[in-house]
Amino acid sequence: MKQSLIVIYGSLAILIIIVYFVGGSAIILEGLNISIVTMYKSFLMLVASFIIIGQLNVLLSKDAIEKWLQKFSGIKAIIVSAIAGGLFPGGPYIYYPFVLSFREKKLPFYILITFIFGKQVYDLSRLPMEASLVSPEIALIRHLITFPIPIIVGLLALRLYGSTVSINPTLKAGENDDSDNYNS
Amino acid sequence: MTQTTIILSIAAIILIVINSKKTGKQYEGLKLGLTQFLQTAPIILGAFILAGIIEVLIPREFVQNWLSREAGLKGIVLGTFGGMLLAMGPYAFYPIVASIMASGAGLGTIISIITGWVLLGLSKFPYETGFFGVKFTVKKLIFSIPFCFLAGLIAYILELTILT
Repeated sequence: MKQSLIVIYGSLAILIIIVYFVGGSAIILEGLNISIVTMYKSFLMLVASFIIIGQLNVLLSKDAIEKWLQKFSGIKAIIVSAIAGGLFPGGPYIYYPFVLSFREKKLPFYILITFIFGKQVYDLSRLPMEASLVSPEIALIRHLITFPIPIIVGLLALRLYGSTVSINPTLKAGENDDSDNYNS
Repeated sequence: MTQTTIILSIAAIILIVINSKKTGKQYEGLKLGLTQFLQTAPIILGAFILAGIIEVLIPREFVQNWLSREAGLKGIVLGTFGGMLLAMGPYAFYPIVASIMASGAGLGTIISIITGWVLLGLSKFPYETGFFGVKFTVKKLIFSIPFCFLAGLIAYILELTILT
């Protein structure tokens, strides 16, 4: 959160200086005017989006998702894992440790990688933000186009590595898996 | 925009009802959503201001040559790596995408920016390398790039053919 704030306000300060030298204070005011209008128009959408995010976080528990993942194998597991990834609430500091626990649960690599891609591509908690802040049409088109990605990735991993249980199945014998430190 | 607000509000009400029947934790959900909203409000505010400034700063010729529909594959490549470089959370990222779209960027560019951010986003790198290691992160990154180009290309073709 702190890092995002630094990036945003740091970039903002730099851009305002650039804009001032390029077009003077009038263009800065024009930009601020656009920002205020967009903020005013988006406020209610943002409130609704955060209500949805909060409800989803309560509704979809980590335990329920874990149960789904252990139930299936093969292509069914790929589809379930991709969807479970999309439904899993929380940011990278929550879902990466969860995914890392797959190895202890003996879940194969193809489920792990499908889950990560499912989370990144579908992420249900991000959908209201995408629809409200960009546009519902763009959100729909983007989801339709990128929908097959986690499934293709899962199928490729299944074909290449079968049911190997590993975080990094491409490593040769003797090579270190950097993730080992976090599993001990 | 009004239509989106109505749809999102209906979805929120439906979820509250489902939660009250299934878990009885609808108030906890509301509290969680409100807390998250308040916590991210400074980021959202900064992102909106940043997006407004970007909108007036991007020269029309740049959009026309590099990001518009006419820019074609250039827009897709630039969009993919631009999305990767926008190392920020969704609350900051989406208003910036909206401002690039308002400047006149093509659908292919917009879809590749979002896909680039979703799959390659640098903000995820510290977590990914921390939990899975550098090798995994680099391999995943290289493997994901063609998907971003492909998504942008499909959107570009859709814009040229169906969505004209």
